[in-house]
Amino acid sequence: MRLRRNQCLQKQFLKTKKSVMNNTFNAKRFVLLFKKTLLEKPMQMFGFTGLIFLFILMLYYLMKTFATFQAAQNLSFLWGLVGGDFILASFVFNYFSSNASGSSYLTLPVSNFEKWLCGVVIAGILYPLVFLLFYRIMDAGFVAAYHNSLDPNGPFYNIRYDTVYIFPFDGRIPRLSYPMLLVFSGIMLMGSLYFNKVALVKVALFITILCFGIYGLNYLFASFMFENLDDAFPFQHVAILVGKEVGSVELPKNVHDPIWYFINWALPVILWGVALIRLQEKEF
Amino acid sequence: MIEVQNLSFGYKRKKLLYKNLSLKLEAGSIYGLLGKNGAGKSTLLKNFIGLLFPKDGKIAVNGFDPKKRWPAFLETIYFIPEEVYVPALTIEGYKNLFSPFYPAFNEKQFYSYLDQLDVKDKGKLNSLSFGQQKKFIIAFALACNTKVLLLDEPTNGLDIPSKIKFRKLIASIFTDDKIIFISTHQIRDLDNLIDRVIIVDNGELLLNASINDISEKLCFKTVSELSNLDEILYSEESLKGFSIVTKNINTEDSKVNLEHLFNAITEKPVLAKAIFKN
Repeated sequence: MRLRRNQCLQKQFLKTKKSVMNNTFNAKRFVLLFKKTLLEKPMQMFGFTGLIFLFILMLYYLMKTFATFQAAQNLSFLWGLVGGDFILASFVFNYFSSNASGSSYLTLPVSNFEKWLCGVVIAGILYPLVFLLFYRIMDAGFVAAYHNSLDPNGPFYNIRYDTVYIFPFDGRIPRLSYPMLLVFSGIMLMGSLYFNKVALVKVALFITILCFGIYGLNYLFASFMFENLDDAFPFQHVAILVGKEVGSVELPKNVHDPIWYFINWALPVILWGVALIRLQEKEF
Repeated sequence: MIEVQNLSFGYKRKKLLYKNLSLKLEAGSIYGLLGKNGAGKSTLLKNFIGLLFPKDGKIAVNGFDPKKRWPAFLETIYFIPEEVYVPALTIEGYKNLFSPFYPAFNEKQFYSYLDQLDVKDKGKLNSLSFGQQKKFIIAFALACNTKVLLLDEPTNGLDIPSKIKFRKLIASIFTDDKIIFISTHQIRDLDNLIDRVIIVDNGELLLNASINDISEKLCFKTVSELSNLDEILYSEESLKGFSIVTKNINTEDSKVNLEHLFNAITEKPVLAKAIFKN
């Protein structure tokens, strides 16, 4: 009797577990949602991605023409990856500007987790991959054009040839950009769930104020503590003028590392996690 | 079935729109939710679908908690808001992207409903007029064959022939396993369509009764002079005297006038409640 009851309870438990699982994630449903998200507003998704790429192409060209190749590579990579992803992330939950589209989005038979995951895949995986591919082709094209423009018999050919090379994706700027991408797109996803209208502008404004606020506060505190302050970067270093030289006081490694680990890894997880919670609790 | 137990809801904690509202809606009826502007009709619908969450109390729709917005729940319910959303897609494109989320969607029915509502395929949906967009969404919602259909002011923006077609269509698709819940302040649009009336005012449920029940307990008639004023819930001067709503003491047969009913119930809620209590 007891055994049978236990079996019944176990069956019931498994059924409930299966139901909860199916209502949280279903691969077929997710694929349908992903397809719908990309194709529902093709102009927004593909059109803006195209515009961003065009802007990056022009930025690269202008920078390499009027500044240096390195400046062109660094700036276009940073803006294309972080800035482009930030803009694209604002489209993922861009349904709440009107009652009608907000209701339609939230009542679509897809779980909150799947809707969130769709945002993660688009902003955190798909766009960065497509951008890296585009960037590699663009960069390789410009570098090859430069190399071909050099006269092999001219003076300093080898030196001039070697000064320009294909931008490595594991250099200092990319290593700085990847966490930035996750933090900024996380803020944008979260922000677009808090601000129903013109979320992109509001979040961009919020980030600007936050960054300047932190930088300014840090500078203020540093100026109280150090004389002849030259520069102060939050959680990293303070530069002091000593005569005509500039000396740098850096954060001790045992303090610096945990802070940067937090900013690079824990902060994106928190931001993306809050976006999921916000989506689950979103009332409209 | 929709079951509401002691629902309290308000956009601000201190100012509740609904306080301890309890309601039971059974399958097999077309409900008409009537209320003044700002009475909370749309709010109630949004609570049913899980767009708004109760501050207190419980809502269960077909056994699901709407707040969780589970796909298994959302597959069984369709909400048409007052203003509809259509992306820049063709009819075919919309159907291909949205219909797979609804397991009971019927393509044949969808095109038939579009035809009945006179929605023509003229390129992108967002270039259609508001009325055409609304009719398109109504056709899509009906073809999804969900167990519960919530319509918020469905006839707003429809021209007179479309309103008639809409009524005919709703009546023709209705089956006993469905709940159709229509919220409106355009009472005449629901004439001959609904079989149960729900009236809310000041966050309170004033009436939840079937048309049969109403015609049994109330009498809608025209009299030349007003008498027995205590029994009259509502009176209005008309060409032939006075149109009145009164207690149906003599078990007279009369056609329910929804507009007069609404006025009667909201003007004399205590008397109305006493009549419908038994």
